[in-house]
Formats: sequence, structure tokens, C-alpha cells
Amino acid sequence: MTEPVWGPVHRDIVDLLADHPADVPAVVDHLTKLQDMLVRLPPLLDSCPLADFNKLYLTITTTVLDGLYDDRFVDPVFLSRLDVEFAARYFDALRLWTDSSPGTPKAWSCLFERMRGPDARPLPSAAAGVNAHINFDLPFALVTTFDHLESEPVDGTDQHRDYLEINNIFAEKIPGLRRGYLERWQLLIDMVNGDIDDWYQGELVEYTRDVAWRNAQKIWRCRHDPAAHECERGRLDSTAAALGRLLLSPLGAFLQ
Amino acid sequence: MASDVDTAPLVGRADLVKSVRSALLDDVAQGHTAAVFLTGESGVGKTRLLREVGAHLRDAGALVLTGSCLDIGDASPLHPLLQALRRFDAELSTSHTRTSSAVRALLQMFAEETAGPDGAGALLERVSRGLHLIAEGRPLVLILDDLQWVDRSTRQLLLYLLAGLGDLQLSVLAAVRAESLQGAHPLRRVLTELRRLRTVQVLDLAPLDRAATEQLATAVVGGTLPAEAAEQVWQRSGGNPFVIEELARDLRDGRDGLSDTLREIFLARVDALPQHAHTVVHAVAAGVEPVEHWLLARVVRLPEQELIEAVRAAVAHRLLVGADDGYRLRHRLVAEVLEHELLPAERSALHRRYAEALTSAEAELHQARLAHHWRLAGEPARALPAAVAAAQEAERLHGYAEAHRHWSAALQLADAPAVGPRTVDRTDLLRQAAEAAHHCGEHARALALLEELAGAGGMSTCALHIRRARYLAAAGRSALAEEEYRRALEADDCTPRERATAAAHLAELLLHLGRYADAGRRAREALELAAAEDGSVSEVVLASAALGFSEAYLEDPDAGLAVMRRALEIAERAGRPDDVACAYLHLAELLTGPLNILEEGVVVARRGAERVAELGLGRTYETRLLAIATNGLFRVGQWAEAEKVVAAALRHRPSGADAVELLLARCRLSVGYGDIEAADRDLDSVATVLAGGGARHVIPLLTLRAGLAMWQGRHDLARQAVQRGLTESRSDDVAILAALVWHGLRAEAEAHASRTVEVDRTAVRRLRDVAQRVARKSEKAARPVRNVVDGFLALCDAEVSRLDDNDPELWARSVAEWDRRNHPYPAAYSRLRQAEALLARRARVATAGKLLRESYRMAQVLGAVPLTSEIRTLATRARVALDEREQSRGGRDVTPVVGDELATLTAREREVLAAVAEGLTNKEIGQRLFISERTIGVHVSHIFDKLQVRTRVQASAIYLRNRRG
Repeated sequence: MTEPVWGPVHRDIVDLLADHPADVPAVVDHLTKLQDMLVRLPPLLDSCPLADFNKLYLTITTTVLDGLYDDRFVDPVFLSRLDVEFAARYFDALRLWTDSSPGTPKAWSCLFERMRGPDARPLPSAAAGVNAHINFDLPFALVTTFDHLESEPVDGTDQHRDYLEINNIFAEKIPGLRRGYLERWQLLIDMVNGDIDDWYQGELVEYTRDVAWRNAQKIWRCRHDPAAHECERGRLDSTAAALGRLLLSPLGAFLQ
Repeated sequence: MASDVDTAPLVGRADLVKSVRSALLDDVAQGHTAAVFLTGESGVGKTRLLREVGAHLRDAGALVLTGSCLDIGDASPLHPLLQALRRFDAELSTSHTRTSSAVRALLQMFAEETAGPDGAGALLERVSRGLHLIAEGRPLVLILDDLQWVDRSTRQLLLYLLAGLGDLQLSVLAAVRAESLQGAHPLRRVLTELRRLRTVQVLDLAPLDRAATEQLATAVVGGTLPAEAAEQVWQRSGGNPFVIEELARDLRDGRDGLSDTLREIFLARVDALPQHAHTVVHAVAAGVEPVEHWLLARVVRLPEQELIEAVRAAVAHRLLVGADDGYRLRHRLVAEVLEHELLPAERSALHRRYAEALTSAEAELHQARLAHHWRLAGEPARALPAAVAAAQEAERLHGYAEAHRHWSAALQLADAPAVGPRTVDRTDLLRQAAEAAHHCGEHARALALLEELAGAGGMSTCALHIRRARYLAAAGRSALAEEEYRRALEADDCTPRERATAAAHLAELLLHLGRYADAGRRAREALELAAAEDGSVSEVVLASAALGFSEAYLEDPDAGLAVMRRALEIAERAGRPDDVACAYLHLAELLTGPLNILEEGVVVARRGAERVAELGLGRTYETRLLAIATNGLFRVGQWAEAEKVVAAALRHRPSGADAVELLLARCRLSVGYGDIEAADRDLDSVATVLAGGGARHVIPLLTLRAGLAMWQGRHDLARQAVQRGLTESRSDDVAILAALVWHGLRAEAEAHASRTVEVDRTAVRRLRDVAQRVARKSEKAARPVRNVVDGFLALCDAEVSRLDDNDPELWARSVAEWDRRNHPYPAAYSRLRQAEALLARRARVATAGKLLRESYRMAQVLGAVPLTSEIRTLATRARVALDEREQSRGGRDVTPVVGDELATLTAREREVLAAVAEGLTNKEIGQRLFISERTIGVHVSHIFDKLQVRTRVQASAIYLRNRRG
């Protein structure tokens, strides 16, 4: 019998992932429980690279939840569905990884693989998670949400404004990724193969989120064409994975 | 022709087959629905399981219909269902002539369907009736493979039937390829919503484990496997049954297969095919499955005998399967593998032969297939008419999403250089494509097509602005839509009729934006324009409604009412059914909505319902009018009547938003009656319909869920429902939000009172914040809106005080609010709470008694069971007699049977003892029974004396022993 993927907390994580949260409070609850489990993972107790991302994501989602309660967004229906659908993709990736499925997005598996390694630093780890989540998961989450709400991704709408409002939340919560690191980020980004144009300027989160919006529009247009859609998915996965691997390489360490 | 090579046993799925069978058949209550969705990666055995379960269900007496969805992007609406019906028709032997005629009748219905207003809903209804006849009382099971390719119409049909709206006992078993769900597939959200329902299961089909892998491999090989080989199969297959089977076969036949993915396996096998078989497999891969034998024969052009041999070889190499209706690739991956094998010229030659063969013979999905093949054959000029025909065909079945895709394809084809400029009217294609896009919610696309149409000069300026405004309004972009209507009104080429139309629609838009004064002005303008133009009755009705509502909101209710009444007269005189129906609808909405003249509104709605039924609009407008009547009756407290009306409305088997409205209305009644099962069922049905998309109605759904949970004592569940609602509600809908917030605060107050669940202080704080926000926003709202909100806010204040010192004055205010609006249910509830608060303070006990009796009487009239029982409980505790009869008995209690040992106790002492046995302190008992702590002490010592005990524990033991006996 091979050792379970999640070591001593395997059972707990499998049980947690069996449930599919359907609203934002439930997502926050899920992430909270997951955090408690991840920090119990050996050998690094409290310094699991995934926990670094999860913690950041929990903070951000909690802020989004507060924003929903406090009437911060124009179209909370859109935003809450997006948040749930967005999170569902992270949980899906974890589920696939748990099953050792070859279908695990490469964008995520490059971070999951590091779980056992001692060489990952918190900031690059969190950044690699943010990268996978935003560059790969977000465009698809957007498309599913719009499809469900019988609406569509159009620039300048209420939904677009709410979506951009999240940038502010990211900016508040990731001071480490803000201006001070910008130059180094760009250096890294410039080295990534592929869509260099997309990574070309601005703050990472804000800019990649905008890329995600544009990618969502791209996917939206080909969503009825399974082959084109699958091709787009492959492309985004490879690009995000390449950036993720770079972030987690020794080069990424110099971010911190 | 069943494939004779498919002999491997089904391994490791026995439990699954059993549980799916019971979920779909044995555990389904009479008249209910159920669904199981199987997800899993390619080759994990989904199709095999569908077959296996299907056979089990058929043996158990169910009627099983089987279809699969197609991966050509331009399929036609409801294709999988039609395919299932045709297959079933073919299967039936002549002995079942009656059933067979029912199947034919349903197929005939599809053939004759024509597009019309509300045609989509009516089609759903007719499909469910047809299925009902086919089932002949047997449980019906619909099995759908490859659901990831399902068309929108079929998706909606499934949700309609699963919601129970078709009044059909139906189970659905569907397989979805897991890989497809990873992207942005619409089924993702649908499954997330559905999996929360008790009647739906989403099962993830995992690969086989080590032991099952070995078992399957052993079965295929036909003998024990060497340990090393077994290990290798396990390592290489990762437990994927398809791969295991193939690897084991290689082992058995002494082949040294190197392939361990599906793709490689197929590739190796294609390479090994004899030449003719190779041709056949390529031909099927280029076709639309199932490829009929006659069609294949024409495409591959082999002599009959050679063709049959080639097919046999392809089947033996496990690439092709045959069935009565034609040939399919064993797996869709084969097509992907083959795609890279052919030269483009070879591929287009194949498509050309398909197209030519199909041109000369009518077949299933005729036009869609023709368009598909001609296009891929590189013959846009010949594909174009087929694409247009396919679009019209889809529209006939109300499949606007599919129609839009065919129209778009037609546009692309028309642009191909090979197509002459005059083959087809391009502006007409643009107009059709834009309209279809608008109908299926592709707003941006509709607008883009309209721009192109404008550039092509296909429309007058005014007509263009009006249409653009309509599309923008549908997309929710109101500000831009308003601008477009204004431009339409300013356009030079605007006819008087168009001007009236634009003004009326603009008025309606402004009303929705809450700009009542502007709306009124525009509506008057529209009415003037329409008066000068004969036949603009629809404009009159629309503008009158806008004016009526704006007057009502601006606090001149009589003027608004007069306008709307006149519009109804005009509509009746002109006699167009739709106008009459709309006029009734708006009048009833005005009365029961902002004017709160409920009794009259109910009368108008019911009269209107009768009238529109005469006019032949029963399904649509009658249903909507009856929904208004139901909600009005609920509020004025005539629940029994409301129940009758809602049942009558549901007889039309409505769909979509109409259905949701009615189910929510019925659920509201069930929650009031305390009929938990019925309420639960309706909530699940609503959730099922809403899983298909759309977000309106979610808050009322959650509010009802919270209300129901509270009657069940599940305050934690009520809290969850409210929290979800708070995070998903648009704050401009203040009335709906106010009701939700009240439910949230009530849940916390009840949790506090019952001590079953810890009060969530953060939740309380948030709820109070939202209540304040609602109060602030409602100050700016029109008087009628404010009225409703004030009622709920009064309830909120009072519930908050219940967490603290429970001020009876706040409850009195709530009583006054609801009495004023003539809503007995919340008024009765508030009386109960006021009485409770008074009793807790041991002040004005007589007033409390009076309030309780009033409340009791109101609740009795309504039939509100849970409320009545709460009133009774309080009355018993406080020793208040609820009716005259009881009063004359002097408030003697009605304690249930008690054992001998307790016989010496008085009724009051028994009550105290019961509380002691619950572990309450004297202080707590005092609070519950509204007497002082000291008096409780006296009661307790009397109890100890009479029972001859010395401790509370001993006393409790005696109580529990006797109560059980």
C-alpha cells in the first residue's frame, strides 16, 4: 500500500472534499477547515507551501464575504456565484490530486508536488498558487458564472466593475506582491516562454486578473465548440504551469 | 448486431449498480422523480454501467429509454430524446401496438410542432404528456450518455421533468465525461446546484482498485496472472477498466503491447487494421453517429460482401460497434486519433460522399447533417441552404440556441468567396441571426450582428434604434437602452406607430429604473401618440401600466387605477387576446402590489384568469394571473382558497419563471400549514428549475427554507439559508431583503429562546447592519414599498429585543403595522410574541390573555398549524384559556396520561417537575412558566414532599419513569 497523498490528514481532507460548498460562507468555512489540516502536514508543520497559498486565499475570500455583507459590490449575485465557482476549481484540483489523477491541471500540480519539499519559501509558494488560481481557474470560473446567470462578460458592466473591485482586495491583502517586488516580478515574467505579451506590465495580480477577463471573453466565444475550448484550456494550463514552475524554482526564491 | 467481442465481466461495480438501481427505482416514491449523474474519465466504464443498470431496471419492470448526445456543435434541439424514442419505436414488437402508437404520436408531435408564443413551455408540457402515455403507468427511466454534449433544450427538458412539473414519475440516469467538466461547461453549475437535493446523486466513477484490476485482468485472460504481469497491468492501467481489458487481452494473445493510454491503444489498433476495415473506420469517424448501414455503403463504395467483412474486422479489432440503428466508434477518442491520419483532401472527399448520399435520401437530423458535411467538404454554396433549413428547423422546436448557431454558420458560409453574392439575402440572414441570438440570451452577439445589419443598410434608423434598445434592455444595460429609445424618438424616419412603441417601452424601462416621474411623463406622451394612431392597443396597454404604477408610487393611487382600468376597456374593445391579457395582468399587479387593495386585486386576477382562458391563453397568462391571485389570497389570510387556486394554475404544467412563482406560492402555504414534506418537495423543485440558470427567486426560496427550518427547530439551518441569501441579494430589492433579514433575526431569537443552538453574535450584528441599510434605502423608496418594508423592520426590531429584554411595546408596534396592512399571518405571530413578552414581565396578564386568544383565533382561521401549536404551548404554560369552552373549565390543564406515582401532584406541580427533569434551574423554570423563582421553590419542595424524595435527580427519575409508562 502506498502512502496516502495527504499523509496523516488524508482521511480528513478526503471527507472535507466530498462536500461541495454552494455559497460564499460555506467556501470560507471550507478553506478554514482546510487550513487547519494543511498546517498539520509533516514534515514541515506550519510551513507547507500549499498552506501558504491557502492562508492567503482564505484571507481574500473572507474579505470578499465581508464585502458581500457590507454591500461593497454592485451585483452580489454575480460576485458570490463567481466566488463559489472560482473556489470549486481549487477544490477540484485538490480532489484530482488526491485521486492521483493524471487530469490534475499542470498549473496546480507544480505547486502540489512541492508539498514534501523543504525548499519552498512562503512568498513564492503563495504566488504560485495565486498564479494557478488566477491565470488558469479564473477565466473558466467567469465563463461558467456568466453562463449560469444568463449574462455575458462585457467590459464596463456592473459585473466588470465588481470583478475589478477584487483587485483592490488583492492589493490590500498582498502587500508583499505590491510595488516593491514589481521589478523582480517583471524580470521573472520576462523569462517565461509563451505569451510574454500578456505578462508585460503592471502589477501581477491586477494585470493577470485583467488577462483572465480577456481570456474569459475568448473562451466565451468558443464555449460551444468543444475542440476549440479544450485547446484553449490546454494553452492556459501550460502557460500557467510554466510560470508556476518558474516561481517555485530557485529563481523564485529571490523574490523573498 | 450486438458486438460479440464484448464479453469481459463487469468488475468492481456490483455495489454501485445496486445502489443506482435503488436510487432510480426502488427508493423513488410514487409520482416522484430521481436522478443519478455518473461522472468519470474516459474509459472508466460509464457507458458500460449505463447499459448494465438499464438492463436491471428493464427487468424490474421500468420503461427504459436510451439516447446519447452528439459532439457535432450544430446538433438539433432535443436530439437525444428523439433518438431514444426512435430506438424504442424500433425495438417494440408488434404485440405492443398500443404503446407503439403512443411513441409514434409523440414523434409525430415533434414533426408537427410550430414556433409560437410560449411554444417552448407548451412543448415541454406536450412531451411530458406523451411520455406519460408511453409509460402506461410503469416507472419511466431516461438514460442519456455523453451528457457533456447535451443541447440547451434537452437540458431544460430534463430540469422541467425532474422538478416534477411534468407530473411524471421519471428517473434520469446520465453519464458525463469528467474531463469536459473541467473547463467552463454549463453542466458544472447545474450539477453543483442539483447535488444538494435529496433526489439527485452525482457519483464520481473512480478507477478500479488493485484487487478489482487483477480480477478483471484474470477474467479476460481466462486464468491466473503471474504476479509480475498483474503488477504491470496495475501500474500501466492506473485502474482504468478499458485499459486493463486491452492490456490483459494483449497478454492473453501474446502481444507485447507497449501502449498504456487509451489513445496509444487505439492508435496501435488502427495501424493493425486490414485496408478495407481501415476505410470503414475512417468513414464512420467522419460521419455523424450512428452511421446507418445504407449510408456507410454509399460512402465507402465497397461491394456488399466486402463491406460486411470490413465491418466485421473493424468490430473484431475493437474499434467499431454495431447496433440496429447503425455503427458507432467504440470510443470517441478513436475519431481524435484518426483525425491526424487523413489528408485534408481525403477528409473532404469523405464528407462530400456523405453529403451526396444524404442529399438523395431523407435521414435523421437531415439538414444539420447536410450542412455539416457540405461545409467540411468545402462546398459553402451547397452547405448554405442546408444551414438555413437547419436553423429554421431548430426554431420550429424553439431551440433558439441551436438556431443561432446554424444562422451564424450560414452567415460564415455566405461570406465564403466561393458563394456568389446573390445566392442569399445577407441582410435577412443577419436579421434572423440577431433575433435568434437575442432569444437565446447571447446579447453581445445579438448587438454585434445588429451593428453589421446597420452597416449593411438593412433597416431604417428608427427601427434600428428600437431594436438595439430592446437588445440592450434584455442584456440589463438600461442606461444604454434608454439612450437608444431617445434616439429612436428623435429619428427623422420614425413613423407615428414606431414613436408610440418607443415611448411606451421607454416608459416601462424608466419605471423599472425607479424613475417614476420620468416614466409617467413618457407614458403620457406614448398614450397621446397611440391615441392618434389606430391599432396601437399594445402600446396603450404598456404605457397605461407604466403610468398606473408611476402614479401609484407617486401617491396618487386613484389616478393610476383609473388609467389602467381604461386601458383594459380599450383592449377589450379592440379584442386582441394578448392585449386583454396584459391589461388584466397589469391591473391585478397594480392592485395587489403597490396599492395593497388585496381583495379587489384577487377578484380582478381571478376574473382575468377566466377571461384569458376563454381567449385561449390559458397556459401563459391564466397561470400568471392565478399566481397573483394565490399570493393575494395568502396575504389576506384565505389560505384554503389560495390552495385551490394554485392547484388549478399548476394543472397547466407551467415551466420556467411561471412555474417557480407558483411553486413558491404553494410552498409558502405549506410552510404556513406546517406541512414539512410538501414544502420540502416544492423547494427542491424550485431549486431544480433554478439550477438551469437565472438568479431571480433565489432570495424568496431561501427565505422559505429558513422559515421551514425554524418550524423544525433547525435554527442553524435557517441561519445558513439566510446567510446565503444575504450574500447573494441585490440590495436594491428592499422588500424582499427585509423579509429575509427578519427571518435571520427570528432564527437567532428562537435559538436564544429554545437554547438548542448557540446565538451567533456576529450574525446578529450583520443582520442589524443590513436592517439599518434597508431602513435607509427605503426612506428614498416610494410610499407603497416603504409600507411593506416598515412591517418587516418592525418585526426585526422586536426580534432583536427578544434576544435581550423582549420589549412588548415593539411587538405591539409590529401588530399595528400588520393590522393596518390587513395581513393576518404576521399580525397573529406578532400578537403571540407580544403576549409572551408581557407574560415574561408578569405585567398586564389580562392583555396578554386577550392577545393570545386573538392570535389563536386568527391562526385557527388560517389553518396555521405550527403557529397554533406555539400559541397553545404558551397558553398552557401561562395558564391562559384559549376559547370559551376551556375558560369554563377554569383553565384545567390537559396534561397527557401520567402514571400513578404522579397522581398526587397538581397540574402546576407536574409542569414544574417536567421542567426540573429537563435540568432547568428554578430561575429558568420561573421564566418559562411566568412565575417567580421563589414560587418555583415552593412548588419544588411540595413535589419533594409528595414524592418522598430529597433531590432533583430522584424527582426527575420518578417523573421520567412514569411518563414512559
